Amino acid sequence: MAEHTIRVFDSRKGDVVLPSGSCAHMIRHNYEELFADDPLWLPRAKSLAARTYEFTEYLVDVLSITDPSTSSGRRFSPRWDGLLTYHPTCHLHRGLGIDRQPKTLLANIHGAQIIELPEAEDCCGFGGIFSVEHPELSAEMLKRKIRNLEKTQSPTLVVCDAGCLMHIQGGLKRNKMKQRVVHIAQILANQ
Amino acid sequence: MTSYQFRTRIRAAIANANLQQALDANALRRVQGRVTAFASLPDWKERRQRAHAVRADVISRLDEYLERFIEKAIGNGIIVHRANDAAEAINIISKIVGATGQSPLPKLIAKSKSMVSEEINLNHALEAAGHRVIETDLGEYIVQLRGEKPAHIITPAVHLRRHQVGQLFHEKLGIPYTEDIPTLTNTARKVLREVFLTADVGVSGVNFGVAETGALCIVTNEGNGRMVTTLPPIHIALMGMERLVPTLDDLALMLSLLPRSATGQKLSVYTQLIHSPRRADETDGAHERHLIILDNGRSRLLNSPLQEALYCIRCGACLNACPVFRELGGHAYVGSDGSIAPYPGPIGSVVSPGLLGLEQFGHLAQASSLCGACKDACPVDIDLPRLLTRVRAGGSKQETVSSGVGLSFVSRFGLKVYGVIGKSATLFSAAQKLAGIGSRLISPFSAWMWIPSFTGWGFSKDFPRPAVRSFRERFSHRPQRTKDSATESTEISVKKKEERREPDVPEAPKVNLVERFTEELTALGGNVYRVPRDKLNDRLIEFLRERKVEAVLMWDSVEGVDEIHLTRAGIRAVRSADPSLRVGITGVASAIAETGTLVVPSGKGQMLSASLLPEIHIAVAQSSQIVPSLEEALRSDAVRGAASVALISGPSRTADIEMTLTIGVHGPEELHAFVTGEQL
Repeated sequence: MAEHTIRVFDSRKGDVVLPSGSCAHMIRHNYEELFADDPLWLPRAKSLAARTYEFTEYLVDVLSITDPSTSSGRRFSPRWDGLLTYHPTCHLHRGLGIDRQPKTLLANIHGAQIIELPEAEDCCGFGGIFSVEHPELSAEMLKRKIRNLEKTQSPTLVVCDAGCLMHIQGGLKRNKMKQRVVHIAQILANQ
Repeated sequence: MTSYQFRTRIRAAIANANLQQALDANALRRVQGRVTAFASLPDWKERRQRAHAVRADVISRLDEYLERFIEKAIGNGIIVHRANDAAEAINIISKIVGATGQSPLPKLIAKSKSMVSEEINLNHALEAAGHRVIETDLGEYIVQLRGEKPAHIITPAVHLRRHQVGQLFHEKLGIPYTEDIPTLTNTARKVLREVFLTADVGVSGVNFGVAETGALCIVTNEGNGRMVTTLPPIHIALMGMERLVPTLDDLALMLSLLPRSATGQKLSVYTQLIHSPRRADETDGAHERHLIILDNGRSRLLNSPLQEALYCIRCGACLNACPVFRELGGHAYVGSDGSIAPYPGPIGSVVSPGLLGLEQFGHLAQASSLCGACKDACPVDIDLPRLLTRVRAGGSKQETVSSGVGLSFVSRFGLKVYGVIGKSATLFSAAQKLAGIGSRLISPFSAWMWIPSFTGWGFSKDFPRPAVRSFRERFSHRPQRTKDSATESTEISVKKKEERREPDVPEAPKVNLVERFTEELTALGGNVYRVPRDKLNDRLIEFLRERKVEAVLMWDSVEGVDEIHLTRAGIRAVRSADPSLRVGITGVASAIAETGTLVVPSGKGQMLSASLLPEIHIAVAQSSQIVPSLEEALRSDAVRGAASVALISGPSRTADIEMTLTIGVHGPEELHAFVTGEQL
């Protein structure tokens, strides 16, 4: 599948921007490992890795957009009324070292009040195949994440990873809870 | 390949409320302790990278370092044995134990903590041969009394709470039931003191071997490590073959990281450096020291993609940081046959299959969300998530679906199907369409579907209904942008990413060494008295009289202490280690300001037991002997030349029961440093 992905993007120039930290981490850090002994694919994997960015990293570090309401012109000016809390997903902040970028963007959303999530850096228990292979462990980790979300009283949890979003939202839905998990792009796009 | 036994243990651990409380407390306290301890080491990030490089160097040239280390150790008078596997190691130890003393059986063996001994199942083998083996670390003693294995590599009784220990001691040691931790600790102290004094053999682990000097470094808090290496006539040390550092400077580096990571301490209470057996002019310390260097799969690991696992210094930080360990504790990490893995947690899920076989322990590597908290916590920066994926890939670098070590058949089949579909755009969009329409039939009204528990996912969460129109479809039919906005977006200049720079490490402020030493040792529960030279003897006598002490175990000569003064005051100085003496008086080779440590070497007329057996240890140090750092203390000839050196940082302590700090386990419960000299 990695070969297929490299092939697909080799046919296009330009930067590759991914809305999930874990996907960006896979291409940036694990492709090299996957093709370590393959002289044909390794350079192609590295060249894709070099132009792959996570969404908030691309906005802040590459496009230098830190305040979304001023730097992006008239296309959108994000507003949020009320509380927001942020969960730094594992592959984003530990794997890629991206933490300042989403926090900067959120800090500049007009009207939003950012509440710190207790034990924020703890994994939500997704972990890809782990969540299916070890449902009991995954469930306990998810419970803890949801308990901590409840403590913030924020109705909205922001993440930068589609996998974690699906996981936490799935847990909230199962428990008939009202909180919503959103991708940071949804906040920026006023959705 | 999914281990049914493992799954059963996971469920049992999660359902055990008592265990969950104990593990939650452990995770919160230990992680916080580590973070606080590293705050006192401003250059820790740089040290961590240096430590990684040192370990990488050792492992890449292990044969060379081992050769140098063994040559030095033999030169120092240590009897070195090499064991290829567990059976060989046990055989060697059995022979040494069997050959001791006059009577053949049974021998009493006092043991301090050694994970290698757990790895080779030593206690079981020695007991089967008729010997008595007593674990002397409080946590190990508790699990041994319960007939269990340690649940953590540093804190063996992490899974227990005080009422369980109270009940255990009531049943096994016959004391009235109590939950008072000092009473429980004191009970163990009394029982084990007898063991130390009468044991035929002491067995210990080794934290580090130092290649340049042949030294064995052993780190404990309670003092049991010192007891088993000092009191019994024979000492057997067990060491994994990878546990080397090249130099004493490297050792100092490792020691700045190990205790901080393990227990949140700047330095453990007792850091011992053992060079040789008791010398002819010394009156205590083991007569005979054996070192067993164990391979047991390490050579194989060295030549595999899991090599980096050998960098581990066994601090246990990854266990404390791991969200999965926090749910399980060490006893749930079981092999296919149900036996408990000697090494649990993230590092254990690499090392256990690495040393003892993928068939037996490979599935442990699936019990990780690869969240990376372990890598972050590791003091030598081992890339544990990467190693876990390599175990999953069957011990290789390339994970293919056909490997998937430890995955259930269903998961593996699912991934295989996904792999086929994911590689074809046509199949992928067809599958998306199908999933979108199919899920609408199942869940026509809600965007979130309830799915059953057996799917794994459905155990605790709903699944989002896949969209009928995929992102790609919508993206290709998106309204075209106007020309203006398109040019506008391309005009945004693309900047090179700037490397984030760490803030500069602040210069260590210049401090008065005596003051810093006083501050640090006082914080550890020791007492420091700064006494002018001409007042030293009077102050000592005053101190001893207040405590009605008539005899002290004292070194032949302690700088500044005049025995005639003591005798006149009615205080006898004794030279042989009588366990009934309450006070021991020693000098020091040096004292370390940054950690509040007294460096106490053995030597002629310098009994090791004077700083170990009595309840109260008095050390006399000259202000000129205080050095800033551990590195400097280790460089001195007095340290390098001694048969044995104890670096003492505070009174003996333990936190093995519910992490409650208790002072005075096996070593002295009071530590008094009299600092004298010109500059105070």
